[in-house]
This record gives sequence, C-alpha cells and structure tokens, in this order.
Amino acid sequence: MDSNTSHTGITRRRFLKDGMLVPLALATAGGCLSTLFLRRADARGFYLRPPGALDETRFVGACIKCGKCAQACPYQAIRMAGGEAGVAIGTPHIIARETPCYLCPDIPCAKACPSGALDRRLDDVEKIRMGTAVIVDRENCLSLRGLRCEVCYRQCPLIDKAITIEPRHNPRTGMHTIMEPVVHRDKCVGCGICENACVREKPVIVVQKSPPVQKDAYEL
Amino acid sequence: MRIRKWTIARRGVQAGVLALIASPLFGMAIFRGNLSAGTLFGINLADPPAFLQATLASRVFVPSFLGAAAVVAALYYVTGGRSFCGWVCPVYLVTELGEKLRSKLGTGQRVFSLSGTRWSLGITLALSLLVGVPFFEIVSPIGVLTRAVMFKAWQPLLLIAAIMAVELLFARRIWCRSLCPVGGFYAMLGRYSPTRVRFVRERCTNCGDCLVACPVEEVLAPSLVAAAVQVSSGDCTRCGACIDVCEARALHMQCGLPEQ
Repeated sequence: MDSNTSHTGITRRRFLKDGMLVPLALATAGGCLSTLFLRRADARGFYLRPPGALDETRFVGACIKCGKCAQACPYQAIRMAGGEAGVAIGTPHIIARETPCYLCPDIPCAKACPSGALDRRLDDVEKIRMGTAVIVDRENCLSLRGLRCEVCYRQCPLIDKAITIEPRHNPRTGMHTIMEPVVHRDKCVGCGICENACVREKPVIVVQKSPPVQKDAYEL
Repeated sequence: MRIRKWTIARRGVQAGVLALIASPLFGMAIFRGNLSAGTLFGINLADPPAFLQATLASRVFVPSFLGAAAVVAALYYVTGGRSFCGWVCPVYLVTELGEKLRSKLGTGQRVFSLSGTRWSLGITLALSLLVGVPFFEIVSPIGVLTRAVMFKAWQPLLLIAAIMAVELLFARRIWCRSLCPVGGFYAMLGRYSPTRVRFVRERCTNCGDCLVACPVEEVLAPSLVAAAVQVSSGDCTRCGACIDVCEARALHMQCGLPEQ
C-alpha cells in the first residue's frame, strides 16, 4: 500500500467500485423493482379507510403504517393490509362485513394518526366520508322484493338521514307496499354498519368509493 | 473474561423495545405504534426519515409530526446516531443473530460500502417525492417486523427471511451496512454526536481484541490506527462490544467533548 492511500486504506479502484458503482447498481435495481411494484392502491379495488382519511392517493402517501389507528379502535375494526395490497401494504382499512366502523363520538383512530393521513381535527361523526353505501344487488334485496326486512335502515346510525324508507306500490301483488331503503349519499358516512347487518349471505348493500360530487350541468 | 456489561445492557434494551411494541396486545398500552411513529408515556415520537418521506410524498405538513420527529432526532443525536441500530432496531437484532450463524457457516463473505445507506436515504426521499408514496415505509423490514409483533401479521415476514437469505449466502450484513436508509440518516447524525467510544492510549496494550470484536471493521480500526482520541465514524452503533472485550480498560463510552 503506498503512502497516498495508507491513511484510509481505500484504493481509488475500491472507492469507485464501492462508492459509486454499487450504489448505482442498487439504485437501478430498486428502480426496476419499484416500477413493477408501485401501482396505485385504488387500482386494486376499494379500501374502506378509517374515518378522516385523505383521498386515496394522498392517504397512501401520508400513511407511515405505524398502526396507531388500529390500536386505538375499541372494536378492532381497523386492520393492517397485507402484501396483497401492493404499495398500500401495512395501511389500515376496515372490512365492514366482518367489523364495521361503529362511529365512536370521539373518533380515537383519527386522533391517533401522527402523520395527517387521517384528519385528527375531525370532531363530528356526521362529517365522516369513508365511502357511500350502495344497494348493489337490487334483485336480492328483501325489502325491494316486498318483504319487511329494512335491517339496514334500522341499524343505520344515521337512521332517517342516511337511509330512509320510501314506500311505494307493489305492482307484483297489486295490493301491498314495497318499503324501499334509499341511501342519501350527502348524509351517508360510509361506516359499513348496513353492509355488516345485511341479512343476505352476500350483502346486497355495500360501501363503495364515494362518487365525485356532481355539478349540475345547468348551473353555469 | 470480563462480564460483557455493554452487550448485556444492549440485549436488555432490545428486548425492552420489543416488549413495549407488544405491550398493547397484553392490555398495557405503555407504548402505542411502532418505530415509524409511536407514543410512549403520552409523548409522541416519530422516525425522522418516516416524517420526511410522508411529508414529501403527501405534501401534507403536520407540525406535531415534525415535533415528534425532532424529539427522536435529538434523542439519537445525544446517544450516538446509529445507537438506534445497535440498541433499538429489531431488524438489527435479527441480522445480528443471523451474523453469528453466518460466521459459523463461513458463507457470504462479500462486503459492500457503508456509504450505500446514505445513497439509499437520498434515493428513498427522491422517490417519495416523485412517486407520492413513502417509499421506504412500503418495503421497510422494521415496519414489517414491528407490525408482525403488533398485529400478528406473519406473512410479510417473508421479507425478513429474504434479507436473511441474502446475508447468509451472499453479502455480510448487507441490509444494515449498505441498504437501510434509516441507518443512513442516523449515521449522519452520529457523525456529530457527542456520545462516542474514546481511547485511553496509555492503557492500550495493542492486543487487537477490540478490532476483532467490532462488528463493522471500517468503524474502529481507522480511528485506532490514526491515533485519534475517539471513534470518528458515524457508522459506529455504540454497541460497546469493543469496550466489553478490552482487558486493559483502554476504551470507554463518553458523552461530551473529548478530554485533550
């Protein structure tokens, strides 16, 4: 080893190889991997996020997967996504059919979030917008078939606001009434209690991504 | 053989950290969250690289998040930067145990540069800004391991297994040495930290035990050979292995300015 290199013990060749080429090779490999891996989470379907979540793209950006919201949930409704969620691995979500959000008045999950992925300033459960309930299978809805089910309506924490019953004539029998549950999406918070309560084996009412607010075309 | 008190203390802290992370499972939520962000005795803590990534990715700035990250940065600045790695990080614990196995097997001898962690941090922050996701948090084995403890989520532990396989068969301690951006961040802090391993030259018998004990050969040897008063490398985890093996008590851990 000559005197120019003895103070560090690193030759120029070693410096170039380890200091530049190896990190560049790692960066390239990482970049290639990430293009395969980084897909928008909502492209894989809708995740019901905890109350106060930012819109999906920014939520996935802000969530650092610390799990504090899940630990704060008294019902253990919030689960952490596994590898199937791709880029959203480790992010919190709710599977309403198993345990819905019961809308704690103090919203402890949002308060626990350190990073702003859930808005901790949220103070009113009626302002939560996790999604919107939709009757996706009208043919299998017992109420729409003319039976007196209305379980989703009775269980809705915003009964007579988010879900109302609209009676109408039953043309099939000609003498009965169809008590139709109607979701009002300006009131529905997307908690998933209706989806959880639906008596059919496969729920006919499910929470979906809230549709964008429609601007009336005539309102120019 | 002296009692390896630094190593014993370190194992105690490592086990304590895992116990704290697991504490909510047993109904005693002394600590909530994980090493990305948590609350200990009501004090909010956040990993500074996690804060940087989330803020760059989402463009959402939360002042209390910055405060929590600053508390942690200050803590590790005072205690030595990569003291996070040596004393707190559960992935370091796992790879450290893997390293014992590897040295018995004699496989995977390659070493990569320590500067890789700084590159990794830079790439992580750049990707977080460009792609809009906190890039390292997706692949973080620290997150995977802590969430496995918190939520019994075992499936992502495959990532830890993959890292172990690479370290066993290919490159020695490649994750902690060259890839982990959190390590890169704390190495930069540790470069300027007041807590350091210092030498008492007159006691040193030049036996070389400390050089053998040091897990990162680039850390202790250059400072010792260069007749410095202390270990200058930011990559020193302050694990104290060198202090433990020194029969002459010529090494000690000290916080503050060196005595000239």
